[in-house]
Order: sequence, then structure tokens, then C-alpha cells
Amino acid sequence: MKRHLVPTLAAAAALALLTACGGGGSSDQAGDGPQTLKVALWNYATTPEFKAIIDGFQQTHPDIKVEPVDILADDYAEKVTTMLAGGDSTDVLTMKNVIDYSRFGTRGQLVPLTDEAKKLDATKYSGLDAYDLDGKYFALPYRQDFWVLYYNKTLLKQAGVPESKLQNLTWQGYAELAKSLTKGDGGSKVYGAYQHTWRSVVEATAAAQTGGDLLGGDYGFFKDQYQLTLDLQKNGALMPWATASSQKVTYNTMFSTGKAALMPMGTWYASTLLADTKSGKTKVEWGVAPLPQRAADGKVTTFGSPTAFAVNKNSKHTEAAKTFVEWASSEAGATAVAKAGVTPSLQDQKILDAYFALPGVPNDAIAKKAFKPDQVVLEMPVGDKSADVDQILTEEHELIMTGEKSLDDGLAEMSKRVKNEVG
Amino acid sequence: MASTPTTLPAPGVSGGGRYRATRRRRSSTWVGWSFILPNFLGFATLTLVPVIASLALSFLDWDSYSTPRWVGLANFERMIHNDTFWTALRNTAYYAVGHVPLTLAAALGFAVLLNQKLRGVQFFRTALFFPYITSLVAVAVVWNMLLSPDLGPVNQFLRGLGIDHPPGWTTSTTWAMPAVIVASVWRDLGYYMILYLAGLQTIPAELYEAAQVDGASGWQRFWHITVPSLRPTTFFVLIMLTISSFKVFDLIQVMTEGGPGRSTLVLSQVIFREGITQGRFGYSSAVSMVLFVIVLTITVVQFRWQRRSER
Repeated sequence: MKRHLVPTLAAAAALALLTACGGGGSSDQAGDGPQTLKVALWNYATTPEFKAIIDGFQQTHPDIKVEPVDILADDYAEKVTTMLAGGDSTDVLTMKNVIDYSRFGTRGQLVPLTDEAKKLDATKYSGLDAYDLDGKYFALPYRQDFWVLYYNKTLLKQAGVPESKLQNLTWQGYAELAKSLTKGDGGSKVYGAYQHTWRSVVEATAAAQTGGDLLGGDYGFFKDQYQLTLDLQKNGALMPWATASSQKVTYNTMFSTGKAALMPMGTWYASTLLADTKSGKTKVEWGVAPLPQRAADGKVTTFGSPTAFAVNKNSKHTEAAKTFVEWASSEAGATAVAKAGVTPSLQDQKILDAYFALPGVPNDAIAKKAFKPDQVVLEMPVGDKSADVDQILTEEHELIMTGEKSLDDGLAEMSKRVKNEVG
Repeated sequence: MASTPTTLPAPGVSGGGRYRATRRRRSSTWVGWSFILPNFLGFATLTLVPVIASLALSFLDWDSYSTPRWVGLANFERMIHNDTFWTALRNTAYYAVGHVPLTLAAALGFAVLLNQKLRGVQFFRTALFFPYITSLVAVAVVWNMLLSPDLGPVNQFLRGLGIDHPPGWTTSTTWAMPAVIVASVWRDLGYYMILYLAGLQTIPAELYEAAQVDGASGWQRFWHITVPSLRPTTFFVLIMLTISSFKVFDLIQVMTEGGPGRSTLVLSQVIFREGITQGRFGYSSAVSMVLFVIVLTITVVQFRWQRRSER
């Protein structure tokens, strides 16, 4: 017996692990009675569109109960990956970014939604193309974020800058404005602009506006945008990257406490500002302008990312889950999202009107132009190399921004590493 | 064994005692197993099986969903040609070489200092142990604030001393690793100090008294009595420190995330990134096997060395 104990135990343990991993997969539909759908999402309390979608869906579908599975936003991708690896059967999964989506989709973790996607009018849905994986779709977008320029109305007024100047702003004009709006010293310093530590602020902007390829391995097209940023940082008009990074400064603090006059940021930030203004957390009077451009020809090119819902292959309520996903991207869902202060994927005039009718949303001509960009380029192209390239670009971005590497060396190193390590 | 009746000892013969003894031994074996079993079950399911699975995985290409594919040594080959792996290996060694001796010296120094009969010594012992029980994330965030390049108190102090260009600490490729090491020494020294304090209590006071009578100085007493008497403690501390240094993950993940660039990237972060983030469990397992072999080798060498110096 003693001799057999160890192998028996090991075998039992191995078996237990294997069965835990291989569970799920069957889709037995519950016949009658209310079904409960579990929806994986993040920061439920502070991300208003989730509640808006779930409440809206419940009103029209009382027979399906929706239960949010709340995950911390920063851990979302890893948590969902681990859940799926363990055979979890949470019915609906929110696709936080397109890179993760393509990974889940190509690995066969999601239920195909190609027929449902083909039914949508592609001309009205911003970001639908991003979910095309060789002609197949595994998710339907319900939200589309893109980058705009937030500005502090009071600080602009104090400096005597008319808001109309922001309507057709070039990056050159942005830099000059940022320098002129910078004032104060030490703890009371107000920066002309704040650019968050993410590499996208510089790199995705450059890629979108020059047509450069982020996966290409040749990064000369970053140069102008980096030069502009480094110059502003050296000049003191921009909080140094090193300070922002080591103190884990949040962009919300910088803008909502009036420490920065201009801030390029995604449209998602508007919903935070709306909520914080309403609850009295911030007193900043804010406006939204189009993202600055390379040329002053009036055309607006920006970058962004869509967000979508997908159905888990292990779901036991596939049909109900599909109903939920379809509803979220439909006109009713888009209206609910817009009313929560978030830009939906479906963007027709009626829904934009609902958005601008919200109390507190800036609805002047500048804001209307900002919310209707001519072109929204995907923040990071989707491919099997995306995640690796993203890692390398992030590492080299840090070195350029902290001055550890000269701009030319940094760009050369990016190209070299992407070519050698990703191939 | 009990096949023929002739081998059975007759009652009353001396062999019966042996039989009872065997039975008692056997039943105490069972009692022993029943004590070990719960712990062993936990160990087997949570450590042994995953480690064996990880060894098997290192020869596979597996993303945790699709069918695993046998790739032989391809993962190890990729590792050898991967610049990031070598950078992380160098950084891990750098961290260990800094962290182990510094923590050891600081823990021993404070233990000797706080082993005196002084007023308030309890307070200082508690204060030094405090970082060890504080949340690691809080430790990392506070150190990041202290070391902030522009407004951090450390650099303001250095500027006060007349240093015009103090280091950027966690934002500089040169200084990020020393900064991380300082923070980790600060955090860990309390725990090892307690171990040393326990060791110090076991040294008989007569040894010091005799040395004092013979006219040995304080330094001589430390070097010739304290250090040799603490050898078993030092050995234990050294082993624990080395193992924990090579496995370092959490502090670096929160303080620098391996940056700036790859200047503080360590092996356990590569394992995490490749496995959990990128879903390349085969490659990730291969790296973790290499880390395992490194730690095992160093530990075995330390044990051998200890045994030889004991002779």
C-alpha cells in the first residue's frame, strides 16, 4: 500500500486538474423559467455604460437575468485569460481591447457571430472592421473611443486665448499654446499641457496622422511627434515623464484639479468628467476640441479603439447571450450607452443628438467637430505580433522619454528589436 | 510473508514480541501518514503536480487552449537566442548579488545592536520588523514617492548637500536596480534580524565574560565569538535570501514593472509576461525550469560548502 500511495495520489491530483480544465463546453439550454446571464466586465461602479446597458436590456428582456462579474480594470485581460484557460462558463465577455479579442477569437474560445455582424450596417458602425478575423466575426462592438483634446476653459480665458483657436489646431499651435499657458512653480505649477505616460499618446498619434505602420519595424515616422513632446518637456510646459511615471500620476488628477490646461485623451474620459462634475468632485470647466493635426486643412484624423461583447464558447446559455450582445450594439443599446456619456459604436445623427442633449456635455461647434472625426485609425493593428511589438515599443518609449536614450538611438533600437525579436 | 503456518511464531515464544513490535510499527506508520497526508495532498496538488506539468510543458508549444504540440528543445533554443532572456538573467543576478549581502549585513548589524539591554529596544525591534508585515504595494508606492526624481525627499536632500544632478532613481537605467535593491533590503531586513536575534540569544554569556577577562576588544569578541556561533543561523539566512532573491517579482512589478526599458526586468517577470500575458505557456515553462535549475544549483552548492566547512 505504501508503495502505491504516492503514484495513486499523484494520479488522482493530475486527474482532478485535467477534469477541472476540460469542463464545460456543452450548451444545454435551460427550457423555461428565467435564465441568468453572467457578464464579465470591469470597474462596474465607475464605468457607467455597463449599468446603462444591463438596465436597458433588463427592461426589454425581463425573462433573462443579467449578473455582472466585476473585475479590476487593470487585471481584466489576465483574469479573463485565466478564467478561459480554466474552462469558466461566464456567458458574455467584454472585449476590452482588440489584441486580446484576436487572441481569444483565433484560439476558438468565442462563439462565431459572423451572421449577426453581417446584419449590421458597416457604414454606421465605427470600429466594426476591427473584429474581422479573416472574414469571421466573434464579437459585436457597442462602444467606440477615439482621442480628442480636453481643455480647461478657465485657464484659457485667464490667458486671453479664444476657444475658437482650438477648432483647427496644429501640433505646432498646440506646442506654442502649451508654452504660453504654463505658469507658476513648485506645488502650484500649472502645466500648459499634460500627456499621459502611455506610448500611444506619441506613437499612435504619429501612426494615425502620418499613415505609419506600428507593426512594420521602421519607426522614423515617430520622429516629429517625439521631438515635439521632448521639446515641451524640456521647456517645462509638460510634466516630465519620469515624474509622472514614478509618482504614478493619474491623468484625471492632473486635469480635474486644474493642473493642466490642455490634455489629449480618449473620449471615455468625458463620462468620468460628467459624473465628477455632477457629484461636485471637480469644479473645472471643461471643453472638448479635435485632436491637433499635422496640417491645418480642417480634416481631423485621430486614433481609437472599439469595445465589444463576445459570447464564451463554454456558455450554457448561448442563445440568451447572443440576444444580449446583439441588443447592446443595436440602436437601443447605443442610445443607452450615449445617455451614459459614452460614445457608442453605432454613430448616426439621432444617437449623437442624444449624446449632446446630456446635461454637462459640451455641445458647441468645437465639441461637435471633435466628436465627428473624419477618420479614426485603430490604435494598434491586430496581428499575432501585436502584443510583442507593443512590449518593445513600450520599453523603448520609456527610455526615450526619460532621456536614457537619444531620440535617434531609441528609434533605431525599436526598429532593430522589432525586426530581430519578433521577425 | 504469512504463506506457511510453520513460519508463524508460536504463542509464548520470544518471537511473539517481535510480531507485536512489527504490528505496532506498522500502525504507527499509519498514524504518521495520517499526519502527513493533509499537508502532502496540498503539496502534491499545488506544487508537485504543477512542477512536473511545467517540466513537461517546457517541451511543448501550448497556449492553454489548443492541443499542445511537441516541439522538443525549441523553447530552450528560442531562449538562448532571445536578448530579453539574457537581459533578465543578468538583472536577476545583479539583484541577488546586491540584495543578499546587503540584507545579511544589515540584519546582522541591527540584531547585534538591538541585542543590548537598552531602554526602548523593544520599540526599535518592532519598528524594524514593521516593513516586513506592511503591504508590499504600499512599500513600493512609498519608495517611489521618496525616490521621485524632481520632488522626492531623497533628491531634495541630495540637492541640499550640493549635488546638482541627483540620480533619477527608478526612471534611470543606471539607478533603477540600486533603488529597487535598497527598497527590498529595507523591507526584508526586519525578518532576518529576528532570526539573528533568536540566534544571538543562544550564545552563552560565559563566552563573552571569559573573552572580556582575557582582554578581547568588542570587535574581537564579535569576530571570534558572535560570528562563529551564528554560523547555523547565517547558513539558513543565506539560503532563504538567495532563493527569495532569485524569485523576486512583486516589489519590482509594482515599483518599476521591469523598466525603464528592461533595466530591472527579472526572470520571474519574463515567466509571468510570456505565460499569463502572452499565453506562451511552453516558453514560459522553459524559462521557469531554467530558473529552477539555477536556484537548485546555487542551493546545493551552498549546502556542500556548509558541510565542508563544518568538518
